[in-house]
Amino acid sequence: MKPDPGLVLRRTVVNRIAIGLFLGATLLAVAVLVLILGKLVFAGVSAFSIAIFTQGTPAPGGTGGLLNAIIGSAAMTLVAILLATPIAVLAGTYLAEYGRRSQLGNVVRFLNDTLLSAPSIIIGLFVYGVMVVPAGHFSGWAGAAALALIALPVIVRTTEDMLRLIPDSLREAAVALGCPYWRMIVSIAWRAARSGILTGILLAVARISGETAPLLFTALNNQFISVDMNAPTASLPVVIFQFAMSPYRDWQNLAWAGALLITFSVLLLNIVARTIVSRGSR
Amino acid sequence: MKKDQLPPVKVRIEGLSFYYDGVVKALKDIDLDILDRRVTTLIGPSGCGKSTLLRVLNRIYDLYPNQKAEGKVLIDGQNILEGAGNISTLRAKVGMVFQRPTPFPLSIYENIAFPLRLYARLSRNEIDEMVETALQKAALWNEVKDKLHKSGLGLSGGQQQRLCIARAIAIRPEILLLDEPASALDPISTAQIDELVRELRNDFCVVMVTHNLQQAARIGDYTGLMYLGELIEFSETDAIFTNPKHKRTQDYITGRFG
Amino acid sequence: MFTGADSEMDQKTAGPSGDLLPATAGRGVRVTRGAAVEPYFIWLTRICAVVVMVLLAGIFMVLLIDSLPALRKFGFGFFASTAWNPVKEQFGALAPVCGTLISSAIAMLIGVPLALGIALFLNELCPFKLRATLTVTIELLAAIPSIIYGMWGLFVLAPFMSTHVQPLLIAWLGPLPLVGALFQGPPFGIGMLTAGLILGVMILPFIASISRQVFATTPPVLREAAYGVGANTWEVSLHVLIPYARTGLLGGIMLGLGRALGETMAVTFVIGNAHRISASLLSPGTTISATLANEFTEAVGDVYLSSLLALGLILFMITFAVLFLARYMLGRIDQKVAA
Repeated sequence: MKPDPGLVLRRTVVNRIAIGLFLGATLLAVAVLVLILGKLVFAGVSAFSIAIFTQGTPAPGGTGGLLNAIIGSAAMTLVAILLATPIAVLAGTYLAEYGRRSQLGNVVRFLNDTLLSAPSIIIGLFVYGVMVVPAGHFSGWAGAAALALIALPVIVRTTEDMLRLIPDSLREAAVALGCPYWRMIVSIAWRAARSGILTGILLAVARISGETAPLLFTALNNQFISVDMNAPTASLPVVIFQFAMSPYRDWQNLAWAGALLITFSVLLLNIVARTIVSRGSR
Repeated sequence: MKKDQLPPVKVRIEGLSFYYDGVVKALKDIDLDILDRRVTTLIGPSGCGKSTLLRVLNRIYDLYPNQKAEGKVLIDGQNILEGAGNISTLRAKVGMVFQRPTPFPLSIYENIAFPLRLYARLSRNEIDEMVETALQKAALWNEVKDKLHKSGLGLSGGQQQRLCIARAIAIRPEILLLDEPASALDPISTAQIDELVRELRNDFCVVMVTHNLQQAARIGDYTGLMYLGELIEFSETDAIFTNPKHKRTQDYITGRFG
Repeated sequence: MFTGADSEMDQKTAGPSGDLLPATAGRGVRVTRGAAVEPYFIWLTRICAVVVMVLLAGIFMVLLIDSLPALRKFGFGFFASTAWNPVKEQFGALAPVCGTLISSAIAMLIGVPLALGIALFLNELCPFKLRATLTVTIELLAAIPSIIYGMWGLFVLAPFMSTHVQPLLIAWLGPLPLVGALFQGPPFGIGMLTAGLILGVMILPFIASISRQVFATTPPVLREAAYGVGANTWEVSLHVLIPYARTGLLGGIMLGLGRALGETMAVTFVIGNAHRISASLLSPGTTISATLANEFTEAVGDVYLSSLLALGLILFMITFAVLFLARYMLGRIDQKVAA
């Protein structure tokens, strides 16, 4: 069949336009990334100083840093990960090893994926109702609990995925030697999947480092440097939220500095996580 | 087979070499003449380059930047390896059917209408007619005429492959490339495809890759044996199977390797 | 092969299909040391898995119980009222719910076409050398915390909209009949349109990343067949690639929608926090999550708190409905780090 030249021309034109649009969309995304990171670096670096790490948050008009927020965030993140990891790894192990095709496994998997994408502010409300109200006050523990609930499904999912990647022949080899199944999981499967599981944990840390909403009504905020987890605790995201929305210039600057700090840590964690996975898969 | 009037050479391949990643030489300096209105089969063990050779003829390898061809492939005197030309035009001339059936995720009717609309502004009636003709030629019409608007994916393997053949011939190419078209099918479907190919010979220049020696012997007019990227021997099918000139050919046909 | 401890067939021996395990004493095979721990280990992992189920149920219960006071007081009128008066203790969910839906709709209108364009670019057109870098770039964009998007929206996008974009919209589109009603009022900068834009920019990399993964599962043979009949990139994308991947794409879009509906920080900065519904996209409004973020810590009185929690319950149900649908369509998408 001889192609109709008019048709060929029209098709070529349409194709070129479409390609242009696809390219445009990609360039737009890259441009946005550049704009956002650019503003972040520009505003954040100019507000950065050693005081960020040495002084606590100031009153409006004063000078200060973000030390209380940094300590608070670090503490709550640490507690959250310590809380979530064992439960999550075991749950992921269940899904990958014992519950591959069971009814319970399917339900849990489904619900876990849903929890993974749930709005974090809802998690905050839940912890408020379950921990803050009975205790009568906000606390760092409540904040950590909320963060743990956000990290949990992430680690469950990655643990299951990584364990599933391990070929069954490895399991069979261990069991054929007489190794009990649980022992095989602990000594062999976990060891083989360890870089992947570690990645999952890192990604969870990255995810909760930037979360603001769940902390708003669990840990609230604290102007002073403190390590009392039983009292309202400062955190970087909440401080940034408060300062950025305020009309005070120095507070806004500090907010940008904090934002830079968070973004940098999150991106660094993501890159490290990727490198671990690509190295571990060799 | 009539020897009185040989059909013209449709595809002339001169010094064709093919590289993967710039290093691995999958085709080594191939020279080959393919005649119009004949079935030319390419046989050889796995990895000998027969599929690679086929895929040069419609430049489908263009999709992969690490694959490169050198030399000349003249279709009707024009070197298709050079110059952009319009790939669309080349692909209008050279149709291809793959190893695995690949129906588009469209209705049976649309599977065939889609490529038709690429080449000509046709009325609904014209398309209807061409769809029916193609399906008739592919021996599929009777089985699907009542369900043209059902998905192509709902057909059996053999039917899907015949749909792919119908799709390829609907736009009336001049050359038809078949890459082991029946290897994924059961024996009955294979026999149907064989029949089909013998019919298609009347209208197209057919080049078929197969690892099934009996199939090559049954339907090929000409056969070429390839081994490790080289064309070992090429001649009329009868001659290859009854009186091979090279030892390798002899060994392959008698099953000593491959 | 591995049926797992909980499948119907094998309740007796733990682990994979029973014959792989050393049988207990009766068959004359030695019981391996440590085999006795097995049942405890299984139960441990099983309990941890159930924790997920319990959590989800718990969230629903807590929200439901705590919103009962408000629901009992206002009845079904709660869903239809735009009132929001803490002093008179009159609350209605309509403004926040509408705000959530409208801002998400704008976000999807912007985000989805762009995301599909990016995914198709990466899979079909991008030069191989750039492919890995660009893919990583998009995924890093998706990892940026939403508060950063919110701040950027407030300090960069909103002023830009206010000075350059919105005046133009008001001048060009405002006078038009039907469409014009969407673009009335002073160019505040902040408002529903800006919030929708920021939200769109935020979910864009998310949907793009999922779509790309979905497109990558297209069998190469199908691509070759489509190009083989002479179709060009646009035609192959529109008629073959997208239909083939449509379930996965739809699932990814639904996931993106779920994210947009529940997003707090990106929106709170720029939505303007006004409890009203306005025809114009340029006026301030509010969403459920923005309302919660702004007012929760200062809410006094049971009715106020309970109303806020009721908003939370509504958000919970909307997002979970969307997420359930998404999972149903997707089966499971691969969220592994792209190799």
